[in-house]
Amino acid sequence: MKKVTAGFGLCILLLITSTTSAQDSTQTELNMKALSGNPGSTHLLLSGVTWFGLQANLSDTVKTNVKNTFNDFGFSPMFLWKLSDKVFFESEIEIKNDGSAENGAAFDLEFAKLSYTANDYLTIGAGKMLSPFGAYNEKWEPNHIERFPNAPLRPDDNILPDDSHLFWGAIMGIDARGKIPMGSSKLTYVIYISNGPTLSKDANDRPTGVIQYENWNDNNNNKEIGGRIGLLPFSNNCLEVGFSYKHGIANSLTDTLFNQNREVSNYNIGATALAYDLNFVKSVPDLKSIIGIRGQYSSLKVDQANYYLNDSATYTFDNNLTSYFAQFSFRPAMVENCFFKNLEFLIRFNSVTPPKDALWGGKATTRLDIGLDYWLSWRTGLRLAYEMTSNPDGSKTNMIIARLATGL
Amino acid sequence: MKRIIVIIALIFAAITATTIFNGCAVPASIASKSGAQLWAENCLRCHNSPPPNDYSDGEWAAIGAHMKLRTNTMTDTEINKVVEFLQSAN
Ligand code: HEC
Repeated sequence: MKKVTAGFGLCILLLITSTTSAQDSTQTELNMKALSGNPGSTHLLLSGVTWFGLQANLSDTVKTNVKNTFNDFGFSPMFLWKLSDKVFFESEIEIKNDGSAENGAAFDLEFAKLSYTANDYLTIGAGKMLSPFGAYNEKWEPNHIERFPNAPLRPDDNILPDDSHLFWGAIMGIDARGKIPMGSSKLTYVIYISNGPTLSKDANDRPTGVIQYENWNDNNNNKEIGGRIGLLPFSNNCLEVGFSYKHGIANSLTDTLFNQNREVSNYNIGATALAYDLNFVKSVPDLKSIIGIRGQYSSLKVDQANYYLNDSATYTFDNNLTSYFAQFSFRPAMVENCFFKNLEFLIRFNSVTPPKDALWGGKATTRLDIGLDYWLSWRTGLRLAYEMTSNPDGSKTNMIIARLATGL
Repeated sequence: MKRIIVIIALIFAAITATTIFNGCAVPASIASKSGAQLWAENCLRCHNSPPPNDYSDGEWAAIGAHMKLRTNTMTDTEINKVVEFLQSAN
């Protein structure tokens, strides 16, 4: 708890120091005015995304299985309020088919975040927010922005026994973000403090070693600390590279865990994740095209612990996981032909490697996605993909996926 | 203990950096970029570039605030220029 208080205290100190160094009293008066809300200064946008899609499994040879289905639909209204030049609120609700809901749709509050901008170098945000870890989650994930009909391969795609939200999803906490000009380059930062990860439990309520994020209540008093630093080396911002880090204690106060085969109280299992991301988008007049390269490499390392194998025996394993994707896109947006200029060609390679020796682990799953989009407008596109998955047991699964998604 | 040191180091690094760069002038070539140029350079990176006439003036104001946070790369002056450009061209 002390650490959390220290973290909060330091965030406030950061806010005060940087605002006071940046602002004179005139600026402060302006801020007060902005906060008090001048008439007509509130701007609201009701936006969001909706999508509909289907998938066909080309590898399934079992006659009695359903091989193609319309299984993908959803609607996410998003509410944006600019309350003043300094205060902004964003929230999104997602209503979608997650395969489990009885009435065909599950309802989720994706994020609800209030931000206060002190100056160009510091904005403080609080609430349920998209995790700033990596670039995919906050910047490329929404269905009208993701160019493929689905997300890159993730540990939750039936690779781990439980949903983990390891490298994406939302966090509940506070963040501070800003940018720092460095000549013609820019450095950006986000740091956050949030509820930490937890250890997934088996049927007997014993930790399995699978780490789960997205916790709306924490299971211990230790909070997760994380952040991302981004560098945009060129003045036209066409390239951004990022490095992210997060660390939290995952076991709950009541978990029975073992170290060196002895039950140890106060034994903390830390989960540390790193990510590297890259985004490069450039118009190339010679090719009359826009090319895009993007990718993210993420890894998770969990401290050593012994877990129950059965009622009387324990076992341990190197609890490390890696996941990455790399994508190339090519859109001949500057050609004359009005059909070709709306096409976009895509290729993406994905890989997830779970802990080799875990009961639930094993070899890597890889997937190669080949995609073709037809853009009806900047925010509406029909996406098609042929996806070839190599499973850990050596088998292959080939799918065709289609999705029509539009921003609202 | 280690974590506290890391947090303190990070926060001090951010404070030092913000203090140093608060007074730092943006190079003239970048400061003089027009709203249209900033829009062309910055609004294509994550998604297709939105055209001005898709939203009203008030909506662009809200979008500007939203995108300033999502991109985390544009200064107030830069995003205001883009919003003014979009509002004037819609
Ligand atoms: C770093 C990536 C990134 C950049 C750069 C970017 N956007 Fe966005 N934009 C997003 C994301 C992500 C969303 C979807 C937000 C959501 O659904 O949660 C979005 C959504 C939008 C929307 C739909 C309404 C809304 O606010 O959600 C508009 C309009 C938009 N962006 C305009 C712009 C403009 C104008 C620029 C240039 C100043 C820009 N974007 C630059 C990531 C980006």
